[in-house]
Amino acid sequence: MAAPAIDKDAPKICPVKPGDPNYLDEASLVYEDILANPEPYYEAMREHDPVHYDKKLQMWLITRYEDLQTVNADPNLYAVGAGYREQYSKGFFEEFKAILEKDGGGFFPDAIMSEPPYHTRIRRLIEGTFTAHKVKELEGRIRKVVVDLIDSFAGNGSCDAVRDFAIPVTIHVICEQLGISLYDAKKISRWSEAVTAQIGRMQNREQMIENARHICELQKYLINEMKDREANPKNDLISGIVHASVTHEDGTVEKLTFEEAVSIVRAVLIAGNDTTATALGNLAYLLATRPDLAEALYENVDDDRFVTRFVEEHLRRMPPIRGLSRLTMEDTVLNGKHLPKGSHLLNVYGSGNHDPQQFPDPLEFKMDRPNLGRHVVFGGGVHRCIGLALARMEVKIVAQELIRRVKDLRLAIDPGDIRYMPTVATQTIANLPVTFSRREG
Amino acid sequence: MDRTPGVHANKHCEEGYGMGNLKVTMTDTAGKVHEITDVAEGQSLMEIGRAHGVAGIFGDCGGGCACATCHVYIGEGWGEKVGQPDDIEFAMLDMVSDVARENSRLGCQVRMSPELDGISVTVAPTAA
Repeated sequence: MAAPAIDKDAPKICPVKPGDPNYLDEASLVYEDILANPEPYYEAMREHDPVHYDKKLQMWLITRYEDLQTVNADPNLYAVGAGYREQYSKGFFEEFKAILEKDGGGFFPDAIMSEPPYHTRIRRLIEGTFTAHKVKELEGRIRKVVVDLIDSFAGNGSCDAVRDFAIPVTIHVICEQLGISLYDAKKISRWSEAVTAQIGRMQNREQMIENARHICELQKYLINEMKDREANPKNDLISGIVHASVTHEDGTVEKLTFEEAVSIVRAVLIAGNDTTATALGNLAYLLATRPDLAEALYENVDDDRFVTRFVEEHLRRMPPIRGLSRLTMEDTVLNGKHLPKGSHLLNVYGSGNHDPQQFPDPLEFKMDRPNLGRHVVFGGGVHRCIGLALARMEVKIVAQELIRRVKDLRLAIDPGDIRYMPTVATQTIANLPVTFSRREG
Repeated sequence: MDRTPGVHANKHCEEGYGMGNLKVTMTDTAGKVHEITDVAEGQSLMEIGRAHGVAGIFGDCGGGCACATCHVYIGEGWGEKVGQPDDIEFAMLDMVSDVARENSRLGCQVRMSPELDGISVTVAPTAA
């Protein structure tokens, strides 16, 4: 979640080409061209400098699968929370906090962006709400939302697969999962931007005040919903989080504090948005550019194992998350590289998923990989994405219902012209014009 | 066996202490044999392994049947009592088919009961 700012003034064209001995020194994840096609940079780092300092980004990039496992195995040395808190609403923190306390029902720090043992307590309390079995209970309702949406545009012949499809589908589904009836995609998008702006380090004071106002509105809305579920539990995620409890051996029952619960409901709404929408935009890209795979998916759409593997390999090959940050809490050595205390790291999951040591022919779409489940699409260790079962199910349902209703999906844009959102956190297509026809019968 | 975790699924899952007297033998990925004798009814093999530092048991997703980091092989003679994985668990085991076997289960989906007292399992390797 904690992504540094992209240098908007950086040159559009990367100054050197892969193969040039100076490439690693000159290339950077701040360049738009590298954000659009990071694979040569990832490959060069994995081969020549796997723990690489990106001078322009000012972060250490962790690019090999094995090193990512090492980092994820030690969440107190490689911390999530410290760096996150340090840059939260940077420069305006006290004023931001005061606005939320006055008009937003309170200031609720992100409970999940923390270290063990506090983090362990939070995860234990909410994990029961996100299990694959629990999520399965939501499948029917989510499928209905997806089918209705796809039916509403399947006859249109063309659309922007990101703006008109991936984003609205994701927002509708997350509302259904949370159990909130507000399907105002624009409003939720704006709330989402306001929350992520607090870690983007790109807002001025005026924007901070505007964002804080949106977050106040978001929190008041969520608090109302939570109070309702406290009295009237339903089968939805808000109820799950509000009523989550652990019973200790001595009979005492532990629950989340109100502040923690609000922060988690807010995080579920926001975190589930960008990443899942990215995965769905990427799915549209895959089906539009690989008619052979689209055909295979259609032929096997009722074969659960096929679709499950199809989705998993899609996520590995086009992972929504590029990288997530960590801060070293002590001096340490990682794969021979000395990292002083306070070093900012980027776990480059996008590279780990394409490490040929782990996944031979990493850029090939091979759904019969025997170790498919060992990707790092959802991270790993104690911070492994808690919504992973939800995300898988959503992408799977969309893949099935889209291919059942739509055929001849093609790009209406030159692949070279596709732009990506200016962030190192996700590899998100900004716009994806496509054409298609409704599948009759 | 409780296969429908819900809001209160963690009821018996608190880690770090056993408080029971059921026995489990776990052979970890380093070959070390853990004889655990204070297991309470309702604890999952994942929770037991994690609480006792059994190498190879991570339980990243917290027992959600969603990550395959608590993969074990059920010891000979125990398969029938433990039972077979359901569809959701099978799909996860299928994702690590390089090391999955007939007697594979996810530790988070196997909860201890008096019937399983004395069970032995081996932690599956994390790569073939």
